[in-house]
Amino acid sequence: MGHNAAIFYIITLLVYGGVDALACLGLSIQFGVAGVTNFGFIIFQAAGAYAAGVLSMPGDSANGGFQSYIAGLDLPFPLPWIGAAVVGGLLALPFTLLVGKRLRGDFAAVGLLVAAVMANLLVTNYRPLFNGSAGLSLVPAPLQDSFDPQSTGYQWGYCGAVILLAALVYYLLHRLTESPYGRTLRAMRDNDVVADSLGKNVLSLRLSMLVLGGAIAGLSGGILVGFINLWAPSGWGYAETVVLFAAVIIGGAGNHKGAILGAILVPLGFLEASRFIPPFGSPGLIPALQWVAIGLLIIGFIWFRPQGILPEKRRVNIGFVLPPATAGREAAGVIDEGSDAVPTLPGAAGPATKTEGPGRPVLRLDPRLSTLSPQHRDGEVTVLEAVELTRHFNGVPAVAGVSFPLVNGRLTGLIGPNGAGKSTTLAMLAGTLPVSSGSIRYLGQDITAMPAYKRARRGLVRTFQLASEFKRLTVLENLLSAVPSQPGDSMRGALLGRRYWSAGEEQAIAEATTMLERFDLTKYANHYAGDLSGGQRRLVEIMRALMAAPTVLLLDEPMAGVHPHLAREIGHQLVALCEEGMTILMVEHELSIMDEFCDPVVVMAEGAVLAQGTMGELRNRSEVVEAYLVG
Amino acid sequence: MSADLSNKMSTGHKRAGATLCTVGLTAGYGGRPVVHGVSINVEPGRVVSIVGPNGSGKSTMLKSIVGVVKVLSGSVILDDVDITNQAPEDTARVGVGYVPQVDDVFGPLSVKENLEMGGYLLPSGEVPGRIDKVLTYFPRLATMLTRRAAQLSGGERKMLAMGRVLMLQPALYVLDEPTANLAPAIAMELLHEHVRQLAVDGASVLIVEQRAKAVLGISDHTYVLAGGRLRMQGSPTELASSPDFVDSFLGGGHGNAKFGSP
Amino acid sequence: MSLLLSSISFGLITAAVLSIAAVGFTLQFAVTDVLNLAFGAVMIVSAYVAYAINSLGVSVWVGVVAAAMTGAVVSLALNRGVYTPFKRRGISPIAMVIVALGMTLILEFGLQAIVGADSVSYRLNQGPNIGLGSFRFSLVQLVILSLALVIMTAVHALLRYSRLGKAMRATAANPSLARNSGIRTDQVVTVTWAISGALCGIAGSIFAIDAGSFGATSTDLFLVLILAAVFLGGPGQAYGAMLGAAIIGLSTEVGAAYITPAYKDVIAFVLLLGMLALRPTGLLGNRT
Repeated sequence: MGHNAAIFYIITLLVYGGVDALACLGLSIQFGVAGVTNFGFIIFQAAGAYAAGVLSMPGDSANGGFQSYIAGLDLPFPLPWIGAAVVGGLLALPFTLLVGKRLRGDFAAVGLLVAAVMANLLVTNYRPLFNGSAGLSLVPAPLQDSFDPQSTGYQWGYCGAVILLAALVYYLLHRLTESPYGRTLRAMRDNDVVADSLGKNVLSLRLSMLVLGGAIAGLSGGILVGFINLWAPSGWGYAETVVLFAAVIIGGAGNHKGAILGAILVPLGFLEASRFIPPFGSPGLIPALQWVAIGLLIIGFIWFRPQGILPEKRRVNIGFVLPPATAGREAAGVIDEGSDAVPTLPGAAGPATKTEGPGRPVLRLDPRLSTLSPQHRDGEVTVLEAVELTRHFNGVPAVAGVSFPLVNGRLTGLIGPNGAGKSTTLAMLAGTLPVSSGSIRYLGQDITAMPAYKRARRGLVRTFQLASEFKRLTVLENLLSAVPSQPGDSMRGALLGRRYWSAGEEQAIAEATTMLERFDLTKYANHYAGDLSGGQRRLVEIMRALMAAPTVLLLDEPMAGVHPHLAREIGHQLVALCEEGMTILMVEHELSIMDEFCDPVVVMAEGAVLAQGTMGELRNRSEVVEAYLVG
Repeated sequence: MSADLSNKMSTGHKRAGATLCTVGLTAGYGGRPVVHGVSINVEPGRVVSIVGPNGSGKSTMLKSIVGVVKVLSGSVILDDVDITNQAPEDTARVGVGYVPQVDDVFGPLSVKENLEMGGYLLPSGEVPGRIDKVLTYFPRLATMLTRRAAQLSGGERKMLAMGRVLMLQPALYVLDEPTANLAPAIAMELLHEHVRQLAVDGASVLIVEQRAKAVLGISDHTYVLAGGRLRMQGSPTELASSPDFVDSFLGGGHGNAKFGSP
Repeated sequence: MSLLLSSISFGLITAAVLSIAAVGFTLQFAVTDVLNLAFGAVMIVSAYVAYAINSLGVSVWVGVVAAAMTGAVVSLALNRGVYTPFKRRGISPIAMVIVALGMTLILEFGLQAIVGADSVSYRLNQGPNIGLGSFRFSLVQLVILSLALVIMTAVHALLRYSRLGKAMRATAANPSLARNSGIRTDQVVTVTWAISGALCGIAGSIFAIDAGSFGATSTDLFLVLILAAVFLGGPGQAYGAMLGAAIIGLSTEVGAAYITPAYKDVIAFVLLLGMLALRPTGLLGNRT
């Protein structure tokens, strides 16, 4: 190859590499970090390319008028590139219909794939739009009136611009991901229902990710079309989306460096490597084999190394790295299996002492509490009230006409035999489940129609019965994810950078430290929550809920799988919190826990409230005994 | 299909039940035991019940007997044959009829088809006759043969679930909380008229129930499970008069019934 | 024939091919809960096996039989060797989609590597044109229609009246209860994949006959039509697939006659997306 040809080849590689890296970065934050699987991703890049094309091209009668397309505004650089990003972002809005709904993951994927194929078909056949199957050609290169696009200098300049943009986008995404906002995205990826219950607006987050990824993809398309000066439907079939997903999976989903690596290895490296293989067989053989190899790579990686070459890093907080003696075991990832056996918490005897530490108190006393009028003995107020709650499943009532108050500062127990409707009632109070009829009053306000994340933001927080820790976040991150009103927990806050949100984060970490000490799990702070034992994960869930600074805490079987001694400790902690003013509702089976800690206790059976009182009183009531033993 | 079983199925009248024995049964999910060293016996013509508070492992116990949950140690013996850890389709073939607590019918299929599915192991010529027999047990089902199972009410579903199992006339019935989510009157009807009848007709019946007092009324022998272990056992009269029995359900003061797993 | 009649006749042929494919696809989903997106790839591989036989001078209808066998074998291998191990791993449905797409690449481009990128055709005599009422069909088209009808009837008989069919429906409805009833669900799944695989192979060769000329990636667009038919009728519902195939086949062809032919598949896409957005369980599915 001649010297010039070699240089042009390298430049072309670099430009393609930059463009692919950009596209993969867009997919990386969307899919790898936020868990939004967008199989129509290629449409965004295509849209950006077409947008940049028709914005920069002259009217369609120019150049002999052999092409037909919309716009043709002849805009100067950098407007077409900006337009590309904007169009890519806007296109995301209709996509939320398919991704936002509660549709099975694979069904949604099919829908998006089909949308991609359909878009390709429409563009191919509707010539007035983007010149149909022939596509756009003679797309002007940026600044081609001032410089010669064929010159080496220009080409190096183009190359430099692309790499600069890719670096810029990488930097911005890094800021987003390594912030409380990024943590929230990852929490949503791991368990969107729980994220919702901790105050995260999941729909809005998904939309933001679609728009952001779309804009980045659009920009990448705009850059590419300015370089190769043409763009046709044959260049963006659904196979191209598969290649991008393969790149992100192989490089490492959830790690932006991995996305770049994937972009270099797969679309760029792999497909370019064919140039250096001496041609053999029929002309189409090598491209076909490349596709086979990509298919094999995809399946191979998902089987052998689903985390990719550069996996998502575990975020280790320095403050919790232990001294050398234990560091070896910690590094080896060994979790102490025997830790379930009788751990003791500080203040084991009697009510737990409130461990004093830096940071604001765990409990949030809502100012509206003082506006509520006393309704009970001792002037107590009702903080949360269920009023004739009813819930049907397929016409069968699981809960029918349940009413009871939660008195401020009390630890109320909710018991009943299997199928009594306790968890369903709790879910309705938290907003996880909509009510069929009835209402819920919280701090004097009717919140029946309020979505779960808004309730959480107002201090009404719940835990879940089944394992719901954020598995791929560390224990510390699980706790931090629940802290409300974090300055870094928005896209704007994250982009403003560490200087903006580090103070809030420090404070949150201080609270989390206190919490971890309270429950004696400090040494697991940097472990993935998913690696802990069942009882420990339960504790993480309780701690996380407490980190949300609840006014009212709804606990769904918090003691399940927890050692009896530890359960008692938790009970003491909860009583202490109530004495400080928190209101707690606890669904549980272990009746001796009810005995010791809960007053009052509400008994449900067959979807209705049977009785309320202390356990001692309830044991003497024959209908309660009957409910448990007869029904 | 064993010759024994096909013999039993073609005779069509009162059949001998099977003797079930579990010896030191320890079972659980993913290697972690939920049930610890439980030994029980069920004899033909008798109703044996297992009761206990929530989370005591009663359901897991039944599932490990029929092969849905792994037995980690100990054994399950049916008529002197070791059937420990046999797959559910195999325990069905040796005469164990299992009615799970949930997902107990084939929702999209009609009532008649559910019964036909229950008779899958029968020679096809015998199925209609057997359906007629089952309908004499549950006459209400005869009025809804073409209705989809998912559209039945709770009580009707349970009858269909039992009817499905009845098709094979198993030697051992294993019933997991059949009265869960049923109104008390229907629950009593199910227990006294239908479940008791199975034993009267000669089969062995092992039943897990939350409604302890109700099931005591039809049991010949009862085991109390708490925390995955056997706490006490006896005849209904013995247990009903024991103060420890009530305590093991409602917790509180008296000694032996401790909660939680070790 | 008038425009309407001729478009209906095309629609019927499309519906015929589609019905065989859609029923196969939906049965696989019913018993395994996996959307086998490699279905189109298996179709075209089977079509090529029929082509290989046909090039030796044998009638293409014998090739169809060979295609059926190929489809059965490859589908079985796909389920046993790929889908089942991944399912046991517990990967998410999305990851399963990616795996299926990966298999599609391997199968289709592996095929293309072997046979080349040029299109091929079967050696086939279309036969005389035959009038049926106001319709006119070629003999081959009539054979296709009859074959589809025979297969639909056979599937109906299988599911409704045979012991195996009942076991299939039980396994699809409630696998654990099926096992408790003595059904060997493992075997049922294997047989289902063999049968649906055979349908896949037949559909592939019939598709190739109807298309005239075909290449290794010809079924890519057709897969979308299959998905549309399946989701329209309700995923996992065999009768739904038949209904969906009829609707998609007829609406695309009749629509194409009155709108630009190039957009005919868009009708299918819109129906599919609409179904997913409004009623994911399909027309004949049960609202969960």
